[in-house]
Amino acid sequence: MTVANVEPSALEKRLSSFVDGQVSDTERQDIEALLVNDPEARILHDGLKRGGDVGRRLFDDMLKEPVPLDLVRGIKNAPLPRKAVRLPSAPRPMAFKPSGPQTLAACLATLILGGGIGYMIGTQPLGVTSPQLVQSSTAATRDWFDDIVAQYRLYTRQDNRMVEIGADRPADILQWLTTGTGVTFRIPDLNESGLTFLGARMIAADNTPTGILFYRRADADVGNDIIALTFSKVRPETSKPAEDIRIDTGLVSWSTPMATYVVVGPSSAADLDEIAAKAAGLI
Amino acid sequence: MNGEEASSAYMNASAIPNDIRRDLVALLPRLRRFALAVTGDALTADALVQDVCARAIQKSHHWKGKGRIESWLFSLIRTAWSDETKKRGNLGPAEIGASQSADAHGPATRTLLCLPEGFAGTLLLADVEHFDYAEAASILGISAELFASRLCAARLHLSSLPPEPMERRA
Repeated sequence: MTVANVEPSALEKRLSSFVDGQVSDTERQDIEALLVNDPEARILHDGLKRGGDVGRRLFDDMLKEPVPLDLVRGIKNAPLPRKAVRLPSAPRPMAFKPSGPQTLAACLATLILGGGIGYMIGTQPLGVTSPQLVQSSTAATRDWFDDIVAQYRLYTRQDNRMVEIGADRPADILQWLTTGTGVTFRIPDLNESGLTFLGARMIAADNTPTGILFYRRADADVGNDIIALTFSKVRPETSKPAEDIRIDTGLVSWSTPMATYVVVGPSSAADLDEIAAKAAGLI
Repeated sequence: MNGEEASSAYMNASAIPNDIRRDLVALLPRLRRFALAVTGDALTADALVQDVCARAIQKSHHWKGKGRIESWLFSLIRTAWSDETKKRGNLGPAEIGASQSADAHGPATRTLLCLPEGFAGTLLLADVEHFDYAEAASILGISAELFASRLCAARLHLSSLPPEPMERRA
């Protein structure tokens, strides 16, 4: 039979549906009787079953081919649709409604300031760049989060030296980091998120003492994923909660009037925001 | 932390207990296999899966958690491929697959890709993914009768192949 062009016979189709149990009870009894009495029908039935088995085996073999890593990364790093999750953040300043004279004064001040800056830039000789300016522009490109990421990447690779005080001494951790960072905190229990507390250490980020609590993910399929929760009195320019990825490292940050917190983990960790939301309520 | 002192803000996040991205990663080999059965070409299949996964993540709220998520994802793949073939014009799925992938696959994939158009997907959904005829037909956008007919023809085709290559592989 040339399968591509020839429609299977009615008997073949009945037998094929019978193989899948996609027949009524009456039809099933009829076919069972037919298989007992008709050797040709039995041959056809066996052939159909064999064809199905062959197809199954071939398709199973296809699963043995490796999945491209790019495809996996693409999915893991894909942003989720926007959905509101409340994280604490710094209080918004009082609404400022300037009066007419205030607006006029602000305009004048801006004009004078702009003119002054323009004059100073205009009087600088061309092609000469102050070393101080170069230095400050380099510094401006690096911020507190870069320090956090660098420290996270450094210490998560020191498996035996990751923490300075282990999870078995929570009181020491609390006393040390509260004194060192000036931030009052609790050690969040994130077991429900599959995270086991490992211990803590103190680092300097943007010249500010910063506490880090390390957690290890328990589930096997993500291996040795380390999640860090950092806190510091430093206040970034924007106090809005933010998500970012830097050097394959994911960050979720939020601020309160007392401190700024960042949850850090591998960029492939799809649940950093959920961990952050949970930690925000517990710390 | 005093939560009452702090005002709240919104961020880009999901409160869905099971992140669909994890499901997608777990299902990735099967999604690729279905896409390959539909398109007939590995590169096209991977591009299609990538596109569909991105869509699925963005439309994850459409998935209500009823039934099998594979059904929804396979439907997305088939629909996306239908749209793609329309864009490509005259080349049908079989021709595209055959022209691009004749020798680029292992023997198992080659045998399946040599099936007439539409047969591989039918066989996969019924014999491997174990969908019933109605649901499988719905995924493929065809009638249940046509699905049953193609499935029967695909089985007859594979049963008529000489056993040698299969045995050697096995």
